[in-house]
Amino acid sequence: MKRKRRPDRRQPETQPLSPPPLAGEVARLATGLDPVEPGRLVNGAVVCTETGISVFREGEKGKEFPLSVLAELRAEPGVGCVFLEYELQSGERGLLARSDAHANGEFSAFAKKVNALLRGEPEKGAEPDRHQKKEHRSSVRGAIKHLFVTARPEWKYFLIVFFLFALATGIGVGLPYLNRRLTDDYILKGNDRQLLYGLIGMAAAIFGVYVLRALVWVARGVLVAIAGNRLVVRLRDNVFRKIQSLSISGISQNTTGELMQRVTGDTNQIRNFLVNQMPPVVEHVLLLIIISAILFFYDWRLALFILVPAPFVVLAVRSFWRFMRGLFQRRRELNAQGSAILHDTFSGIRVVKSYGMEKREEERFVAMAAKERDAQLRQEKIWAVLMPILNFLIGAGEFILLYFVGNQMLEGSMTAGQMAQFSAYSGMIYAPLSMLMRLPQQLMAASTSISRVYDLLDQPEEIVDRKEPQSPSWDGAITLENIRFSYTGTEDVLQNVNLQIRPGEFIGLVGRSGAGKTTLINLIMRMYDVQEGRVLIDGVDIRDISQEELRSHIGAVLQENFLFSGSVAQNIAYAKPGASREEIIRAAKLAGAHEFIVRLPDGYNTYIGEKGHTLSGGERQRISIARALLPDPKIIILDEATSSLDTETERSIQEALKVLCRGRTTIAIAHRLSTLRNATRLVVLDHETIAEQGTHEELMAKQGIYCNLVLSQREMSKMTN
Amino acid sequence: MEPAMQTPEQDLTKTLWLTPENASFSRKNGLLWLTCGGVETRVTLRRNFPLEELWSFLSVLNDREEEVGVIRDLSQFGQAEAELLRAELERRYYAPVILKILSLKERFGFSYWKVETAEGKMEFTLRDTYKSLVRLGGNRIFVLDVDGNRFVIPDVTALDRKSYRKIELYL
Repeated sequence: MKRKRRPDRRQPETQPLSPPPLAGEVARLATGLDPVEPGRLVNGAVVCTETGISVFREGEKGKEFPLSVLAELRAEPGVGCVFLEYELQSGERGLLARSDAHANGEFSAFAKKVNALLRGEPEKGAEPDRHQKKEHRSSVRGAIKHLFVTARPEWKYFLIVFFLFALATGIGVGLPYLNRRLTDDYILKGNDRQLLYGLIGMAAAIFGVYVLRALVWVARGVLVAIAGNRLVVRLRDNVFRKIQSLSISGISQNTTGELMQRVTGDTNQIRNFLVNQMPPVVEHVLLLIIISAILFFYDWRLALFILVPAPFVVLAVRSFWRFMRGLFQRRRELNAQGSAILHDTFSGIRVVKSYGMEKREEERFVAMAAKERDAQLRQEKIWAVLMPILNFLIGAGEFILLYFVGNQMLEGSMTAGQMAQFSAYSGMIYAPLSMLMRLPQQLMAASTSISRVYDLLDQPEEIVDRKEPQSPSWDGAITLENIRFSYTGTEDVLQNVNLQIRPGEFIGLVGRSGAGKTTLINLIMRMYDVQEGRVLIDGVDIRDISQEELRSHIGAVLQENFLFSGSVAQNIAYAKPGASREEIIRAAKLAGAHEFIVRLPDGYNTYIGEKGHTLSGGERQRISIARALLPDPKIIILDEATSSLDTETERSIQEALKVLCRGRTTIAIAHRLSTLRNATRLVVLDHETIAEQGTHEELMAKQGIYCNLVLSQREMSKMTN
Repeated sequence: MEPAMQTPEQDLTKTLWLTPENASFSRKNGLLWLTCGGVETRVTLRRNFPLEELWSFLSVLNDREEEVGVIRDLSQFGQAEAELLRAELERRYYAPVILKILSLKERFGFSYWKVETAEGKMEFTLRDTYKSLVRLGGNRIFVLDVDGNRFVIPDVTALDRKSYRKIELYL
């Protein structure tokens, strides 16, 4: 199961001809491709020494130039590949190497290192790439280890359960023995009064044992259920807490559905394995061992007869399940695709209807259903044919046994009771065998879930609080110092961003979409950590402030304001659950929401959310403004807070926002530049950094990017008017 | 693109179709350059329909990732130039052709592939096999692995029987 971490992808038919270390070597990129010939990737290397850069191809030196003429190296991602480009100080440019996508990180690391060398910057040591793809292999052994760790708090339960299993197994093995005694010693011994009492006694004993076994089963079931459920609740709690603690980037890598699947589906799968699948396995393994021992102890030839077909049965059952598993999986997948079509069509029903596409959607669904039907039919046919054959095979051992036992009985060396006992045992061996064959599959399903859950639980928290957090004075001054940030690790979204914001200032962030406006805001809220530079609030690095304190002093109104299921009052008080009624009303009044709220039949108790009262976009936005206002934050962030609203509503919400921003530091993003007319300063982002800043008048006079934007918007509004 | 951000003189629907009459391409130091209207710019090519149209509807972007023009079809250009463009595309859209599936094992929701490609044997891993096999336009299948690599099976039905049996369940 243990695999090499990264199997060599270029085949070792010819060993990589990596050039020997060069004198003064600084950085090296192994795997590459000579760019002159597209197509094949060959063994290559780009080596940077203190004096120059050389490219090697299959061990032979190719392009080469001194560092003194080089201006910059760049790693450029392609599709399924990555390029390394150079630019000389003469302005000449060209391609150095190319590799497949998995070398993405190495390429950008190499470029970064060489560029730092060119700029004469001190070497920063290998910067770990936090966004590197995680190790995606998992092993059964790791899963079992995790399972043990998970089950540790319930170990007492599991110990008792194990004991009960042993007991039940003992009883299971003992019963055929008692039956044999009953048959041989009493039933077949003729009519004797003495014997009759013994017979009754024996029967009573057997009855008692049955009752005992039933009791053991009940106790075992109850205990397993308790332990399993305690375990799953704890696991769910952990997963939920972990997901919430992940940074936005960690969360947005997964869809909501996937995360929900982890919290409910995967934990449930683990419980199912522990509660429903694991116990019979333990029982059957015990049974197998004990019965085999008894059989060998009694007569090794008998034991061999019973066990001879076992390997064949094991093989047959194994391949049967392996084959069936593929079919099951295919059907499940088709089923999921069918559901996806249903989901699409129903949630997009207005679009479907408005384009009159009902017929086509129906055809799509029918086609998928037909595909699923065929898969199902195939699976069931095969099942119907193979299952009886399999059962026959499993029962075959008993025929052999019958032959052996029959012979012995005829010889008189075996009694009828013994025969009954052994045939019971042989049944007890084959039933567990066929069950155990399914173990690998169950183990696999469970370990998939376990590894998914622990993948998540083991993820390091990207944004961590300092042990001894500091508190800034919360005047509201924000300083951005030399900020560089990238989501992928290769392409910078922001670089060299420097900005000083005074307390109470209203900053309008302007720029093309994708210029990094929202990213900048996310960095101030510390949804992500900067890669280089610092964000300071009143002189304190936000990484030194506890996240709880930081967020409690920042109020954010976003374009898509999510309101939770609950009452209007609960939503307004979201950031401060203990808020008094007066505070709620005050916040609502400030946001201009009070009036429409009181007009609702249920007032502040009106239930909103998915199934609740439908509010208009403007009303929802006012509620979210009230929500941002209630904790009285010192910093306000408005990310397209009004852009989804019509101009009329926007204008009135602007009034509410004016109140909101008074005396607080505000950073606002808006596409409609008119929205930012209250701003004391406008900051224009372009090409990953701050291109212009100043008041509206200053920037208009400058006739730069901002001026262009304003002019084009004027043009637009002329067209619409 | 939100309309508000457009400069007024730009007409959105207007496309500059690049043809041998108004454009010529060359390669320097492994990079592609376009000469158009007397100006030479370093450009890259992007397929508009990377899974369906391999050699037509190609955007030509400049350094700032702005579209200079679109090539409707490679074959409009002379052989030498077409070859140049084809090479550039093959380099940017790197997808080794799978000739044979040597082994395909599924474990824990990942599938591990050993294949023979035109460039030799390769191994790769898929997360969620069904969704990683993209089928668009007939029998051509794109395989997207966990690292962002791509592989292509030009015609899945043309695979040998053994290889096809391995992949069949996922189609």
